[in-house]
Order: sequence, then structure tokens, then C-alpha cells
Amino acid sequence: MPLQYPRHSHPWSSLSYGRRRFLRASTAALTGLALTNCHSNLTPGSSDQKRLYIYTWANYTDPQITKLFTQRTGIQVIFDVFDSNEVMLTKLQSGGGNAYSILYPSDYMVAQMVKLGMLTPIDPDRVKGLQNLRSRWINPPYDRHNGHSIPFSTGTTGLLYHADSAIGQPQDWDFLWDHRQALSRRITLIDDMREVVGATLKSLGYSYNTNDATQIKAAYSKLQELKPHIAAFKTNGFEDEILSGDLTIAMAYSMDAMPLIRANPRLQYLIPRSGTSIWTDTLAIPASAPNLEAAYQWINFMLEPEVAAGMTERLSLGTVNQAALDRLSGEIRNNQSLYPKAEILANSETIQPLTPATNDLFDRLWTAMTTS
Amino acid sequence: MAIIDTLRDRLRPAGWLWPLTLLGPAGLWLLLLLIIPSILILDISLIPGLRLGQPQTGYGPGNYIQILEPVYLAVMVRSLGFALETTLLCLALGFPVAYWLALRAPRRWRNLLLVAFILPLWTSSLLRAYAWVTILRPSGLLNELLTSLRLPPQAWLNTPMAVLIGLTYSFLPYMVLILYASLEKLDLRLLEAAADLGATPRQQFWRVTVPKTSPGIAASCLLVFIACLGDFAVPTLLGGASSMNISRLIYNQFLGPTRAWGFGSALSMVLILSVSLAIVLLLKYGNFTLRKASHTQ
Repeated sequence: MPLQYPRHSHPWSSLSYGRRRFLRASTAALTGLALTNCHSNLTPGSSDQKRLYIYTWANYTDPQITKLFTQRTGIQVIFDVFDSNEVMLTKLQSGGGNAYSILYPSDYMVAQMVKLGMLTPIDPDRVKGLQNLRSRWINPPYDRHNGHSIPFSTGTTGLLYHADSAIGQPQDWDFLWDHRQALSRRITLIDDMREVVGATLKSLGYSYNTNDATQIKAAYSKLQELKPHIAAFKTNGFEDEILSGDLTIAMAYSMDAMPLIRANPRLQYLIPRSGTSIWTDTLAIPASAPNLEAAYQWINFMLEPEVAAGMTERLSLGTVNQAALDRLSGEIRNNQSLYPKAEILANSETIQPLTPATNDLFDRLWTAMTTS
Repeated sequence: MAIIDTLRDRLRPAGWLWPLTLLGPAGLWLLLLLIIPSILILDISLIPGLRLGQPQTGYGPGNYIQILEPVYLAVMVRSLGFALETTLLCLALGFPVAYWLALRAPRRWRNLLLVAFILPLWTSSLLRAYAWVTILRPSGLLNELLTSLRLPPQAWLNTPMAVLIGLTYSFLPYMVLILYASLEKLDLRLLEAAADLGATPRQQFWRVTVPKTSPGIAASCLLVFIACLGDFAVPTLLGGASSMNISRLIYNQFLGPTRAWGFGSALSMVLILSVSLAIVLLLKYGNFTLRKASHTQ
């Protein structure tokens, strides 16, 4: 739903398949609240070492990979899915996640959970393949030296647009404002206040993570100018509309944009010049994990270059694993949308937690904007 | 001794065990899943600024005062407006259908027609809302139809109109079902008597049919109103950039970055209380019309 703070969705390998997955992800979003209290089937005995309960994104469950893991280790994997970091955190905090031994929190959520003491420190001696991580992720800012998490995948937020539109091609976020009359009601933005307000902040030269109320209010008034021309705030569900040309431009996560570009080559993906948000999803072990042994086996399995390459390719993710990257085809490796050059990302940032007062301000502004 | 006799009388199994056995399971259900959770929500709502994972900060009405801020009041008014409009639309569309089904349709087709009307409820409400996206979007079925009729295409999707269409479609079957049950019980002899006494069809309708079915009208309107107020999927999928409503606002407080459980609980309490108030009014109103109706007989 969700639906607030939905982060990623799922790939669209083909349209009908994609639509089915969209509905699954939406269902996860719309029932997020109900699911947070639903854990009746998740009370394994402590002696049950042949089962691994994983709590992950609605589209990170790759059946092929799971089957291989079970064949190799004899451990049965049971997935539960969430659609936002906050849903996952809430479920764990309210005691509904005691069965899980593996979680997939994003960067800022790792920081938040470490602060709350909810993650087991990673024992580096039990992890194989850390030396394969790309340099940016060896000592990431959200979790120093990967003390509590193992980075798994990465991506950006950008603009997906029709390249043959008469309005021209965007270079930066300001394109939306400059052509708002021509693009009127042909724009969707992600349904996430941090992403939308953050991009506006960026277009004004401020940071995604500012706690300065004056800057945030300036971004809000700029956003108000665009608001009447925005068709909807949608993280998913815009796919059919952009493929059919009902939308000209959509703010989208890279992993959602790539399959659409494959489906319609006239679509292109842009990382705006003034900078965007870069996200990393990680593997982490909750403090309450009942099956540490299986958790480490899963982490090591996911770090295997072959597995990581296959999975990131199927899901249109960017891999953080150099050995996996080397195995990907040249076409994928040179895809500037998935593996942008460092200078393209020079102005980009990782979204970080804000102070409670700033969160309240965001919530008020967002509520006001989506009510009017 | 007299006291013991009274006690024995009072404790005679037949006296209290029967109702208890009958009401016990439902009572326990209500206690565990309605009353206790509501009390918990009330408790949380009275802790100003409570956030999950942070220490309690004392009791007070702070969260309720926050609801009075214009930005949140606007959400309430907007949600109530949508619910009210949908209810009226459902009534306007549903009453003729229910009337026809109950009083005019051939008897042997009646059940089949009723099933046909309820059939859409067998699919998920999410799927039905998404189906409307394909119909209402700029190049969707509705605009194709308009174009083929040489009419100018309109912007339907992502407008308040789309939310009204989606909500009305979602809840019309409930409206029809309850009205049908009410109209089916209408004593046709009353209409005949009215006709014998010189009432025109219009007078028969307004002076007999409507008063006799008013409890059904009130019940169906209330059900649709309450369901609309809590709906989440339709405004989210069809409402476009202005899709905020009270259920979404509550969701954001619990699962958004603010994690303001205290404020979210206060919003929930306001929703629970206003719905309860509506039900109390219905019970009173329903009884009133029944009494009035029996009085006139």
C-alpha cells in the first residue's frame, strides 16, 4: 500500500507475468498492516534446524535459487514478504518476527536496527566471499565494515521517459518543472515522501537528508507548483500506463525501470544530473534468529558469484559483488543505468534516517499535499 | 434461609446457563478481538507523541488535540465527503435495482439475478479496483468508447470522480442485497389497499413503500458509509495525486517513517467512535420507524 514507504517492487520479465507479480506486491502492501500481526504458522521449535525462515521484499524470492539451496544443504526455506522497511521493523518490534533468521533491510534501516540492538553482529570468520565486494560496499556509511549486515544489491531512483516525446529529453529533475504544462497529468512520481521531497531538495541544491525546516519548506513550495500536473504518486502500477503512452515520464526505481525498457525500447532511464538516491539492500541476521547456522549458510550462498550474478540479473538489480559483476554479460555490465560511472553518481546520496521532528514535518506536508 | 432460596433460584441452570452457552462464544470473540484491542488502542492514544520503540511520555489528550490541526481535519472532511457521496450514489442506483428484483422481476429468475449481482464480490477488491484502472485510463476502454461515439475523451483516472466510481462499484452489491431483503418482505396488500383508497402510484411509493422499508434503507446506507470510510485500495489506486484519506493517514502513522503510534491510535479511536455513534443512531432511528409504522397500522 502501500503503502507508505514502499521501496522496491519486482521485475517485469514479461507483461502478464509482471502484472501478476504487481498484484502480489500490491496485496502485500495493502495487507501490510494485517500481516504484521500474523505469525501463527511461524513458531518453529528451537531444534528445527532444517528450516530457514526468511523475511524479504515481495519480489526477492527467486524459486530457482531457493531450490538449489535446498538441494545443496537440505535446509527448507520459507519466505515471508514485506513491501517496506517500516513494515518489517514494526513486525519485528511487535514480536511477530521471532522465527526469522534472515532479513533484507535497506541501508538506512540497517543503521536504525543496529541502534535499536535488533541485529546480530556478523562473525566475519563464518562468512566466505567478502573480499569480492565492490569497493564502495567494503565499508559502507550505513554500517561500518559491514559489522551487522552484508550488502547484496543496489540501485538508484531516476526518471523513466519516452525518448521520442516532442517535449525533448530530460537531463535533470527540473525538466518536470520546466515542461509541466506540456507534461500535465502525464507524470507519476514514486509514492514515497522521502524520494519525492528529496528529489525536489536535490533540484534546489540541498541534500536528501537535510533536517533544515526552511530548506524542506522551500522544496515543498516548489513541489506545490508541480502538484496539479502530477497524475499520481505510484511506486508500482504505472507500468501499463507508461508502456501504452498514457504517461510520458515516471519517477521509478532502476529495478522497475529496466524490465519496462526491455518491453518498450523507446523508453529510457535517466539518473538526474543534480543527483538522486542510491539504495542498497542487505542481508542481516536478527538478534532473535533461531537458526544461526542456516543463516550463515544462506549468506555464504548469496555471496557466491554465480548465485549473486544470476539473481541480480533476473531481478534487474545492480550487484555489489565484483566477482558476480565479472560474470555478467558485457551488455549488462555496461548498462549505465544499472552500473553508472562514478561521476554520474557524484552528487547522489543514500537516504538516511531523519530526526523525529523532521519526520513529523514531512508527514504534515505530505498529508496536506495529497489531501488538496 | 430466604436468601439461600433466592440464590438457588437465581443460580438455577435453566436461568442463566442457557443464554451463557449461546452467547459465550460470540461474547468471548467480541471481548478478545474487539473490546480488549479497542481498550489497548485507547490506552496508546492517550500517550502524547508515543513512537514505537521509545519510552512512554505520560498521559494526556495531546494526540487528540493534534487531530484538530487543519491539515488533519481536512483529511477527515474529505473522507467523510467521499463516504457520503458514495452512499447517496449507491442508494440512487441500488434502490431501483432492488425494487425491480424484489417486486417486478419474474420469480423464477430472481435468485439467479441476485447471484449475478453478488458475483463480482467473489473476486478480490484489489483486482476490481485495478480493473477500473484499465477502463478509466486515458487510452482505456471508456475513452475508446467515447472516441468511437465521436465524443471528446476525458481525464477519468486519477480524479475524485474515479474514486467515486470505484467506491460505488465496490459497495453497490451490499446496498442492493440489504434493500432486496427489506423490499421482499413488503406486504403487497398494503399497496393494494392504498390503491383501493385512491392513492396514485407515486403516493403509494412515498407513503407506503419507502416508510415500510426505511429500516432497510438506513441499514444499507450505514453499511456502505462505514465500509467506504475504511476503504484503502480504491482511493490509492484510482485517486491519483490526491488520494489521502483517513485509513491511509492511519496507516502512515503506524507504518510510515513517523511511526507515531500514539497519534495513529487517536485517529483510530475517532474513526471507531464516529462509526459507533452512527450505529447507535441507526438503532434508534430503526426502532423509531418500526414503532411509527406499527402505530399507523
